[in-house]
Amino acid sequence: MKRNRKREPLRFGTVTKSLFVCVCVAISGLGYVWQKNAIYRLGDEIKKREALLSSAQKRNLMLAAQLAHLESPAELETKCQGYNLSLVAPKESQVVRLYEPGPEWDVQMANAPLPARIPAQQQVRLQVRNPQPRAIAQ
Amino acid sequence: MTLAPQQGRALIVVGALASVFTALAFRLFDLHVLQHKELSALAQANREQVVHRQGRRGSILDVNGNLLADSLSVRIVTADATITAPQASAIAEKLAPLLGTDVDSLTRKLSGQSRYIRLNPRVKLDEDAVQKIRAMKLKGIYFEDQFVRSYPNGPLASHVIGFVDAEHRGVQGIEASMEDYLQGQAGYEVIERDRKGREIRALRTEDLGPQDGLNVVLTVDQVIQHIAEQELERAMEQFKPQSGAIIVSRPKTGEILAMSSRPTFDPTEMDASSADARRNRCVSDVAEPGSTFKIVVCSGALNEGIVTLGDQFDCENGAFMYAGRVLHDAHPFGVLSVEEILFHSSNIGAAKVGLRMGPARLYEYVRRYGFGHKTDIALPGEVSGIAHPLARWNSLSITRIPMGHEIAVTPLQMLMALNTIANKGVRMKPMIVKSIVSEDGVTVLQYQPRSVGPVISAHTSELMTTALRKVVGPEGTAPKAAVQGFDVAGKTGTAQKVENGQYVRKYYSSFIGYFPASNPEISILVSLDDPVGGAYYGGSVAGPVFRAVAEKVAEYLGMVPQTPPTEVTKVS
Repeated sequence: MKRNRKREPLRFGTVTKSLFVCVCVAISGLGYVWQKNAIYRLGDEIKKREALLSSAQKRNLMLAAQLAHLESPAELETKCQGYNLSLVAPKESQVVRLYEPGPEWDVQMANAPLPARIPAQQQVRLQVRNPQPRAIAQ
Repeated sequence: MTLAPQQGRALIVVGALASVFTALAFRLFDLHVLQHKELSALAQANREQVVHRQGRRGSILDVNGNLLADSLSVRIVTADATITAPQASAIAEKLAPLLGTDVDSLTRKLSGQSRYIRLNPRVKLDEDAVQKIRAMKLKGIYFEDQFVRSYPNGPLASHVIGFVDAEHRGVQGIEASMEDYLQGQAGYEVIERDRKGREIRALRTEDLGPQDGLNVVLTVDQVIQHIAEQELERAMEQFKPQSGAIIVSRPKTGEILAMSSRPTFDPTEMDASSADARRNRCVSDVAEPGSTFKIVVCSGALNEGIVTLGDQFDCENGAFMYAGRVLHDAHPFGVLSVEEILFHSSNIGAAKVGLRMGPARLYEYVRRYGFGHKTDIALPGEVSGIAHPLARWNSLSITRIPMGHEIAVTPLQMLMALNTIANKGVRMKPMIVKSIVSEDGVTVLQYQPRSVGPVISAHTSELMTTALRKVVGPEGTAPKAAVQGFDVAGKTGTAQKVENGQYVRKYYSSFIGYFPASNPEISILVSLDDPVGGAYYGGSVAGPVFRAVAEKVAEYLGMVPQTPPTEVTKVS
């Protein structure tokens, strides 16, 4: 019987089919492993990004709190005093209010009282190029 | 048939092997089939872990979006004392300098029995310190992320903002009243860890992220708040009163721009403050208002048409006998008109207006102005004050209530009453929360100014403004409260205090005012309880504080002065 089997020729179709099945199984196996690896790798990537995002958010909050502290009126005042900047708010008489075209300003300026008379030698002549307000497009 | 010896031995081996494999097969069957349910649950429990994530508490912002309170995530160092106990002193020596604590107390903590101790509940560790501790590889020492509440402005507006407890729940102020919006929702993750305890991200089965709390935007402006705090601090140093309060508001909307009271506290250092200092006196403390209350009786009488501004009353030269008791004026006055009663602040005059008005109508106006009721501001601890019902009035009440005695009000109630006059007779509900916004800036809830209803007519309000303008004039009781460039209407108050049922020589000095009188934008209340050093009249104690606050607030808000500046400076 052994002798008889040896004599039988290999069938190409059977071999091909077997090989194909083997290759398919191998590819499926490798693909599964590769995909699993990819999933784990991506999981690790996501984890790293999540940690990075969380750390950035924490830092952002910390910086926002620091900024709020630095911008607080008390802190600004302390800094001004510390640097001896001699900053003071301008007096009302030192404020020049400029005319800004617009219906609200027209009303406001029309109702505003006239400024105090400034002595001639102290007057600063202001030249206004276009004293008339522009018409607002409807 | 007899077996060969080899065959016998083979059978024994086969038999033994068969027995072993049968036992193994049975054990496998037992583990995989019979005990499957229990064991798989146990395995899952060993692998999986539910991690809870705390949601961040929302921030509190001022009207311009400046941060007033925020939650920061910090690294907390924890210890398992059952592990650290044998080397407690050695570990404490290494950790103490990094945690900013002393070695002895740390040794005590580490040598206890507790399996969970927070070693730095109040100290914010920087990343360098964390890395240093991590590098020490100390057994029984762990790290944990936790939110802590941060107040970047320190004690600024502390009574308004409030504070949180150790569990991060609001206890006082906006932190407490807006707790439902501020608190975040916790989330959880179901994760699996590898043998080193690291999470295997790909095996995370459930991931419900935490939801951050909403941000609360206040009507308070931190710059105006700073101005109020600064001026109140100055007044506290100068007059050394027991307590003081300043409130700045917009009469047209009822928005509170600043609310400050003394004594105060720093929410970042709660241990250093007393319960007394934590009380928001603007809403929690009541006092007899004194002459500021004359606005109620006079406006009521004017509104009812019982008197006109020109009607005259005999002020009895400073001593008026009524119901067997003598009522005095601070200065003796003869005949005064209603307008003069207001700007000279005559007690006798106000009492006579009250008498002409009658108790029923006077009481009606007391209630209409909101006295005896809470204003319903979104701050906890508000009291309703004391406004006795008519049935409890005695024969003297009709002459005492018009001058602000026998009635107790909160500073906020008094300011809201003045705001009613400034707002053409319409009483507004005080408003301290402007909106609720989400983390990404979407407005979830927008609060609108709410009117409680008309109290007096617009015409009466104009008449009252006319009279109250003169209070800051040269003849009035508060020329020191006049603000350069602006027309101010206001009223002084100097009430004698009661101690053990007797009026004593201690005073509650106050000033309430609004400006510009013709179109009120800002109203301010200043009150100082028991100022010392001689001066105690509202006009000379609270008036200058009002002026200082008003000038700075007007400057900050860019309000255009109504009258031109007298001083001319060359601008190049």
